[in-house]
Amino acid sequence: MSEPILKVTDIHTYIGRHHILQGVSFEALPDSVTVLIGRNGAGKSTSLKTVIGLLPAFRGSIVFRGEPIEDKKPYEIARLGMAFVPEDMGIFTTLTVEENMRVAMLAEDKGSQGRLEKVLEIFPDLRKFWKAKAGNLSGGQKQMLAIARAITNDTDLLLIDEPSKGLAPVIVESLIQVINRIKGKSVVVLVEQNFYMASRVGDRYFILDDGSVVHSGTMTELMEREDLQSRYLVIAQR
Amino acid sequence: MPELTPIQYYRAQERKGRFKNAGFALRIFFICLFLLLPIIFSSFKIVDLAVKIAIFATLAASFDVLLGYTGILSFGHGMFFGIGAYCVAFLMGKYGSPSYANLILGLCLAAAISMVLAFLISFLSLRVRAIFFAMITLAIAELAIILATKLSGFTGGEDGISMSMPGVLSVAFRGGEFLGIKITGRMLCYYLILFSCMGLFMLMLRFIHSPLGRVLQAIRDNSQRAEALGYKVFYYESMSITFGCIMAALAGGLYAVWVGYVNPESSLGVMTIMLDVLLMVIIGGMGTLYGGIIGAAFLKITQTFLPDLQDMARNAFPNADLLHQVLERWLLLFGVLFILVVIFFPKGVMGTVRERMSKPHAGRSR
Amino acid sequence: MVSKVARNWSRKVIIAGALILFLLPLIQIPFRTYVTLTIAGLAMGMLLFLVASGVSIILGLMDVLNFAHGALFAWGAYAGFSVFQWLAPWVRADSVALNIGVFGLAALAAILAVGILGMVLERMIVRRVYGNHLFQILITFGATIVLVELIRVIWGPNDEVMPTPLTLQGHWDVFDVVILRYPVLCIALGAATYGIIQWILKQTKLGIIVRAGVENRDMVQAMGYNIYLLFTGVFAFGAALAAFGGLAMSIFTMQVYPDMGSTYLLFAFIVVIIGGLGSATGSLVGALIVGLAYNYVAYMLPWAAAGVNILVMIVILLIRPTGLFPVGK
Repeated sequence: MSEPILKVTDIHTYIGRHHILQGVSFEALPDSVTVLIGRNGAGKSTSLKTVIGLLPAFRGSIVFRGEPIEDKKPYEIARLGMAFVPEDMGIFTTLTVEENMRVAMLAEDKGSQGRLEKVLEIFPDLRKFWKAKAGNLSGGQKQMLAIARAITNDTDLLLIDEPSKGLAPVIVESLIQVINRIKGKSVVVLVEQNFYMASRVGDRYFILDDGSVVHSGTMTELMEREDLQSRYLVIAQR
Repeated sequence: MPELTPIQYYRAQERKGRFKNAGFALRIFFICLFLLLPIIFSSFKIVDLAVKIAIFATLAASFDVLLGYTGILSFGHGMFFGIGAYCVAFLMGKYGSPSYANLILGLCLAAAISMVLAFLISFLSLRVRAIFFAMITLAIAELAIILATKLSGFTGGEDGISMSMPGVLSVAFRGGEFLGIKITGRMLCYYLILFSCMGLFMLMLRFIHSPLGRVLQAIRDNSQRAEALGYKVFYYESMSITFGCIMAALAGGLYAVWVGYVNPESSLGVMTIMLDVLLMVIIGGMGTLYGGIIGAAFLKITQTFLPDLQDMARNAFPNADLLHQVLERWLLLFGVLFILVVIFFPKGVMGTVRERMSKPHAGRSR
Repeated sequence: MVSKVARNWSRKVIIAGALILFLLPLIQIPFRTYVTLTIAGLAMGMLLFLVASGVSIILGLMDVLNFAHGALFAWGAYAGFSVFQWLAPWVRADSVALNIGVFGLAALAAILAVGILGMVLERMIVRRVYGNHLFQILITFGATIVLVELIRVIWGPNDEVMPTPLTLQGHWDVFDVVILRYPVLCIALGAATYGIIQWILKQTKLGIIVRAGVENRDMVQAMGYNIYLLFTGVFAFGAALAAFGGLAMSIFTMQVYPDMGSTYLLFAFIVVIIGGLGSATGSLVGALIVGLAYNYVAYMLPWAAAGVNILVMIVILLIRPTGLFPVGK
């Protein structure tokens, strides 16, 4: 078992006076997709936001590639090789697709150009809508843009918050394919409520409830546990 | 005895300790001080200072009702003060004559106009965010000054309006002696204003501690939750703004009574009245009502005795030019003090004191 | 909620309405006077744009309402004033080169001095109150008091006459219409500034990041950009713009006085409300409307001049409270 690329230990996070995360621990192994599962309000999004530094961890430690990052600012963490796709996708709607990608590219040299080409191969739709305002894209295309932005640089760890939310099943299918394609190059930590999506891409899972992790294991194990599925997951029709 | 609900029980406990603490003793002390002031000090300067403290404390408290208790920043408060002053001046000076009836009528007019205007302005707060509301009230206040200056036929323009007081309140009145103390018009005026201010202040205290006042504090702390609990936020905010502005206008009317003169710059001015109020409430402590008194006292005492301070400095250190320069620009020092208070003591004097005092209790309950 | 269609429609109606209203004076006043007024109005509008655009972008990006902007405006004027005094012979010289030179130096002095002042202000004072609108207003208000008093200390409390470089004074005669030179220069400078700002915002990476940040601050941070550095930079840039506007305005009105900031700050706020926050284009259109309205009304109904813009602001607030060109948030 190789070293986890991300190790989160016993973090507590407050939003205002609310004690949202009450001791959350999970980890992400290389070459895998880790899924955080749980009901609404369990603290999944808060966990991701704490890892990327948008929310301060009151207690606990976060170690990324061997370096402690719980005290770092989000932009420092991003530059270390982490990318974040929030629940609302974080698309800059008043900017064009091209400008969105330009913001994502931290450098503008030949290497980045090459990487951009590869990204556009995975998401051909973006090339089609290159000069269009990002706000005019469909829900699925916005999600693709959000993920494309996140993998533009050499991202080692990708945090994605509920990518399948509000998307039609056929779009969810292409999303699954995209994530499986990315899996080789970046480690993915996914937050999902949709069991179908989680089971198709995930390797390991951590179940969050009321601000702490109540269960974890491999995805194959979870497929057998119907009790856990019905308790913590949304079972969408195929 | 009927069962008390938890809230009733808590309130009864609150009320029991009311007369026993240091705060109460302090209040009695200061009330006595102000009551006996004209008798102890015959200097007009001190009496004048005391009246100004009383009036501005009331004004600052009325501003605190909006800012500290409802969480609304309005730059128009000075304008309401001026409106009150002008109403009294109109009825006692320009369009009327000094008489008790006109005085009361003037104050009533001040209350009426400010009520209507405040209600209209509160409609704006529905449409815009807090920052824009502050900007808009600033614009309206500046507009008021311009109107007061330009419409000189109606308002007396830049020259302003002078007036004198009726009967026993007039400056020239002599009422003989009582227990060896000379009764003058100024002295009677002083007591009239002092008691009026105390009355207004107690009215504001009543307002804050009423159920309405508590809803306002809930709105200040978390207006979305208050809305979710079923309170129509706009209705309450509107009441609070209206109440605070009426108090401000009445304070303005009393100011006109004492000073006997109104003009746009000194009565409506943003950089004069509004600035002073802001300094007083922030330094004294917002959300405490009494903070307004402390802020007003601090500001007015400093302003009154600054020339003396400057003379002292000039005599003691005749060559320290920089010191003199700095003392000349007292507003600069107040500005710096203001910024420091906002950064390091955002609760002001009163707020920090209250915080310090409540900490030991928290320790004891463990 | 008002749909996008109705939104664009209301904007077009307002602008069309404004244009029609601005052509009305032609009925009453002679063409020559109209041209002079229009140029004066456009010039004033351009200068207001310089001040207001800073406020608008700072408000849009950082969610900070900078009440100290007026004081920065005044400091720019005074910095230029000092340069004009120091190089008085250049100002009086009848040479375009020297005049432009001294104007350029004054502008440089204003921009640099106030830019640095803005940076210091942002780092030391504004940064401490991020997120708390009330304290932002209070603290920047306090900063205004301190800055204006410092002007009184350094330059004296009196109104001073602001000299105008010789060749910038005077007028051209075009088809029997008197066209003053300086206002035309102001219009040119303002248009150029707008062009530069738009180029920066649309073409450079920095500009794109700023626009992204106006829409979603957190996301820009999560994508690897030091948002605090960005804030300081934008604040300083806004301050520099205000300073430049202050210098130009003081030459326009031929005077400097310590309180000059507060009048124009008020105008700037009105422009931001009319134009919509976060948008340079909105500030331009709003500023031109305010400048033109003020000048036309000041000529025809002098007593109403001060109030007319507040009236316009209230009308906009009732019809379209987000302003003409708001940047979505």
